[in-house]
Amino acid sequence: MPIGPRPADIPRIRRAISVYKVSSIITGTFLLLLCAAMVTRYGFGVDLQLFGPYGFMYFEQKELITGINFTTVVLIAHGWLYVLYLGTDFVLWRLIRWSFGRFLFIALGGVIPLLSFFLERRVPAQAEAAITRASATAERVTV
Amino acid sequence: MSDRAPSFWVIARRPRWIGALVLCLAIAGGFAALGQWQLARSFDAGAAPVEQTETVRPLSAIGEPQRPVAADTTGQLVRFEAEFVPDDYVVLSDRINLSGPGFWVVGHAVVDDGPSMAVALGWAATADDAAAAIAELQQDPPPRAMEGRYLPTESPQETDFENGQRSVLAVPELINLWSVTPDGVYGGYVLAADAPAGLDEIDSPRPISEVSLNLLNVFYAIEWVIFAGFAIFLWYRLVRDAWEEETAEEAEESLLDPAVE
Repeated sequence: MPIGPRPADIPRIRRAISVYKVSSIITGTFLLLLCAAMVTRYGFGVDLQLFGPYGFMYFEQKELITGINFTTVVLIAHGWLYVLYLGTDFVLWRLIRWSFGRFLFIALGGVIPLLSFFLERRVPAQAEAAITRASATAERVTV
Repeated sequence: MSDRAPSFWVIARRPRWIGALVLCLAIAGGFAALGQWQLARSFDAGAAPVEQTETVRPLSAIGEPQRPVAADTTGQLVRFEAEFVPDDYVVLSDRINLSGPGFWVVGHAVVDDGPSMAVALGWAATADDAAAAIAELQQDPPPRAMEGRYLPTESPQETDFENGQRSVLAVPELINLWSVTPDGVYGGYVLAADAPAGLDEIDSPRPISEVSLNLLNVFYAIEWVIFAGFAIFLWYRLVRDAWEEETAEEAEESLLDPAVE
């Protein structure tokens, strides 16, 4: 069994939890955008173009795009934001000293659509539980 | 208590953790390969690779009459069979070879199937040498089988042609000078690989391919390298976790039962 967080890490864990929550919402949103982008690109064969010749934002075949290809921007942004999410996952996992399986499961949040929104609730709750357990152990040891 | 708790390396040597290390190394290797792939993709070559231009290919496969030279065939070595028009040799001034400025002799080659091609045959140090070479070429024409580098035409504006100065190889300009009206003309010219007698070979190094760097792929490559490092670090962390766990259990036992100490 994992050993749980060190009592001294509790303030850092709280900070890591809030960063994780923000990151999971951003990643979840971009993952949904990415799914929509996949549908338009591979389902309908069009990408979303920004600042094209015929307006601010409209769908256009990929080869004809002269402005900013917003679909590609979403793809790239999701990639990097997911790396950020993995970073917050890692920090949280390290501080709480969870099992490796849980690290991988949280990492899936940026891959499976909508999962990150559930995790955004569940992970902080589990983290709080771990903190409570750790404080209790600390008290028991000091007593 | 410390002699009862296994050290970090004792745990690391357990089959379970050696297996994990092999797995982590395999994953890191995979990530490194992905990084290599991204790095290869980040160099987007605009021009043809060197091997391609340095392989002699038939002209018919490379260029078409009345068409400009394509970017990916610029500088391609080509071969073709052609007849030279004896009265259409032209001398260009201010052509620089490695040995210094001099003169080019440019011939009018009629390729077998009809269209014309400008061929830069060779370099001479002086105008007299060039004229002498032309006189000789009119007596003894160059070989039918030509080989050389296919290059796009130069721009006619760059020469003071109105005052009889001719220093660029502009195919549209040459057409006006040729005595025989061509039946179609290639958009480029050929730098002959071998110069005829009396002329020096024109230096023609292989084209330098312009390479543009795609920064996005560079960053992806860096990312994969970091991930590979992380895979190794994770193994270390996991072993350390196992070690801390066992040490903590020891500590806890000794705390609960002072007799152990």
